[in-house]
Amino acid sequence: MSVDGMISQRPVPGEPRPFDFPDTVRTTLANGLRVIVTPMPGRELVAASLALRAGAADEPDAVGGATVLAARGLTEGTEVRDAIALTEAAERLGASIHAEAGWDATSAGLDVPASRLAPALDLLAEVVRRPSFPEGEIERLRDERLTDLLQARSDPRRRADEAYVSSIYAPSSPYHRPAGGAAATVETLTPAELRVVHTSTYVPSRAALVVAGDVDPDEVVRIAESLFGAWSGPDESVPDPIDDTSAVTSRFVRVVHRSGAVQSEIRIGHPGLRRLNPDYHAVAVMGAILGGLFNSRLNMNLREEKGYTYGASAGFDLRRARGPFTARAAVNTEVTVPALHEFLAELDRIREAPVTDAELKAARDYLVGVFPLRFETPGPVAGSLAGLFVHRLPDDELDRYRGSIEAVTAADVLRVAREHIRPEAAAVVLVGDHDAFGEALQAAAIGPVEVIRDADPVAPPADPVAPAAG
Amino acid sequence: MPVPIVEFSDERLPNGLRLIVAEDHLAPVVAVNVWYNVGSKHEVPGKTGFAHLFEHVMFQGSANVGKAEHMALVQAAGGTLNGTTWVDRTNYFETVPSHQLELAMWLEADRMGTMLGALSQENLDNQREVVKNEKRWSYDNRPYGSWMEKMLGLLYPEGHPYHHPTIGSMADLDAASLEDVKAFFATWYVPNNAVISVAGDCDRAQVRAWAEKYFGSIQPNPAIPALPDMSLPEILGEERRETVEDQVPLARVYFAFRAPAFGDTRLDAIDLAGQILTGGKGSRLHRRLVREERLAQDVAVFTLPFVSGAAACIGWATVRPGVDVAKVEAAYLDELEKLASEAPSEDEVARAKALTEADELGSLARVEERADRLSMYATLFDDPAMINTMLPRYLAVTGEEIRDAARAIFRQDNRIVLTYVPKPSGATPDDTDGSGATRDEEAA
Repeated sequence: MSVDGMISQRPVPGEPRPFDFPDTVRTTLANGLRVIVTPMPGRELVAASLALRAGAADEPDAVGGATVLAARGLTEGTEVRDAIALTEAAERLGASIHAEAGWDATSAGLDVPASRLAPALDLLAEVVRRPSFPEGEIERLRDERLTDLLQARSDPRRRADEAYVSSIYAPSSPYHRPAGGAAATVETLTPAELRVVHTSTYVPSRAALVVAGDVDPDEVVRIAESLFGAWSGPDESVPDPIDDTSAVTSRFVRVVHRSGAVQSEIRIGHPGLRRLNPDYHAVAVMGAILGGLFNSRLNMNLREEKGYTYGASAGFDLRRARGPFTARAAVNTEVTVPALHEFLAELDRIREAPVTDAELKAARDYLVGVFPLRFETPGPVAGSLAGLFVHRLPDDELDRYRGSIEAVTAADVLRVAREHIRPEAAAVVLVGDHDAFGEALQAAAIGPVEVIRDADPVAPPADPVAPAAG
Repeated sequence: MPVPIVEFSDERLPNGLRLIVAEDHLAPVVAVNVWYNVGSKHEVPGKTGFAHLFEHVMFQGSANVGKAEHMALVQAAGGTLNGTTWVDRTNYFETVPSHQLELAMWLEADRMGTMLGALSQENLDNQREVVKNEKRWSYDNRPYGSWMEKMLGLLYPEGHPYHHPTIGSMADLDAASLEDVKAFFATWYVPNNAVISVAGDCDRAQVRAWAEKYFGSIQPNPAIPALPDMSLPEILGEERRETVEDQVPLARVYFAFRAPAFGDTRLDAIDLAGQILTGGKGSRLHRRLVREERLAQDVAVFTLPFVSGAAACIGWATVRPGVDVAKVEAAYLDELEKLASEAPSEDEVARAKALTEADELGSLARVEERADRLSMYATLFDDPAMINTMLPRYLAVTGEEIRDAARAIFRQDNRIVLTYVPKPSGATPDDTDGSGATRDEEAA
């Protein structure tokens, strides 16, 4: 067929240019620090980061938020200079140092032109090894975090995320709260708690320096030796298991009421699986089909057929312990209950029958085919290598990735869907106008419904706020 | 460090399609990027939001591609893709493993050539609902979500094409008919109104052959309408203020200043001023308002690089709990005043440039961004070589030029102050629509 002279014949792909994850040189210094270097010729802007197996999941409940605050505090001043001097020194190199912590790891890093790598790593070593956690700055960071938590309650998306994790995990689990800590513990944090995090977990045996870009590995190891060789600390102990106890035994609905909301934020799911679960590759394929690809079942149904949402998706947050499995969308208020039916129907359907050959092929081809795109530039290369280190994955994990994805069958997908998705034991969390859909929700009998009315999502400021005079 | 030069070819097919190819074989990936010279500024009153709605429709199929199949084919090829709409243009892009380049070019050609015949009322209605949900999600159900719409309304006069936001109004989206959409396509989605850029692991001669094969038969529109005169006075001529009550826990003050249009070197200087004012911990506004005086939770300054008539410099400060809004506004404006009266130090300028340089190098390292920039500079300025000249332009700006550019725009008779304050508790639900009590439906 030809319309207006157009070519109807679809092009056949050419011969793929072979691509392998770039060769990586791994060294361990005498103090236990791993140095991981990926030379990427022609990549002048180098990515460097120091990854630490120091995560928010490992901190005691009483100091919830200390790990994240410690990471942010790294760039607030060192024994050598204050935050401003530090920032300016980095900026003169064309770099800005970012430091952040999550559930499993802390990372401090920067992107810098290759010619200035040595002085940039010097700064990186300074913030990681010798932070001073100045009292005034830490107090300010703590207050900023508290204010951020206040803002989160007024943002429907963040409110939904927070209500969701606190619904699916038991209070005994750290995952019940945000990684950055809840207000009750954050407000008690001082430099002393941050120093404990630093002394006990910022040690070479838990650390890897990862560098990717147009660099010479021998040179990087020499620099690492001079900057980190004298760094010492206790050997890494075997980490305690993380409590990931589920709070969901049977399906229930929790609604955070927001009067007049034009959309309902929907979160559905339960604790999922660990990063090291052997079903990792099969779950990646299953997740892509259910809610990862643009043409996933959820998005095709709720967006492209029904028009209920700008986008529906589902996925697994893979952590050291069982992170959340979450299906999500924001739908217009009127279709809230019909949208829940579609979500639950899709969660059932992926468990009831094998996916089609076409679905399986599309998901596998995407995950395999996108591999060279993922590693075009140094940043993602360094990030993935740091991830392997944090999760203690084998060095050849990324080399085996595509083969493992290609080996996933429709039977594997069905098996892992049945094992890792449990619609009958899922929390259904909504942030929206309960007055508008409450009756329909009750009638739908999805599960027992609990309604939360935030006392006053808008906290009154201490001083009266008046607009400035013109 | 040496500034890498992007080498490219630049030519037009007989039907007017501009083809730009930048070969680079570092990674086995290639980006295809099409800019159509049509954005929300080309919309007429009563039909706002069309350019963006149309962008969605472009994924609904064409003669040889089914609904949503464009996405499926690119993803199954191991590619990533999207489309975006903004005031001055609409762009579509795919990044694919290099052996899939021909597929991406064919897909773009098929929809440029045949989308019209394939569009159904059902698919239009579906995407209309999707876009309305995008508007609810991105604007209406988000704290401070109405700020951009309000700011554009205050910055650009009624009837000016930048007066309304790209997302449009719910009423206009509801009114969009199949005929409207088809007329929009026939007018703007033509080869002589488009630039296609291909960057990355490809062969220039092969790309040209494929472009001719797939795009060559698409007919141009000999009568592309000219834009109305969009010129504006250099300054607003007055201060404009508005206060909005919203479901927010913290007050936030938004500022806007009319600025020279994108492409004017004075806007380059304003970009660097933004870096000096809020780019990182050592920047002036962050240092004073967030760190030292602890008045603000966060601060921002950036430009809206619009190309017709006038651009804008935008900023905000989020007011910390218990702090007087007026005090934050005064401190913020005081810092702008200082930059307008005294040139920044050499060290400050050098740091701002070093960060700008690193940002630019990081962006241009990716084929997707390189292709997008080539299309952008060709579409907006008829000068794709700006991909190589913009960074030197930034690096040539002096402290005195930053001061002078700041002085020209950071003035009371050229500013808008839009203040969001928490809605007093106890407001009845009937007063709320989830997007701010003073929400003005007529603004669009």
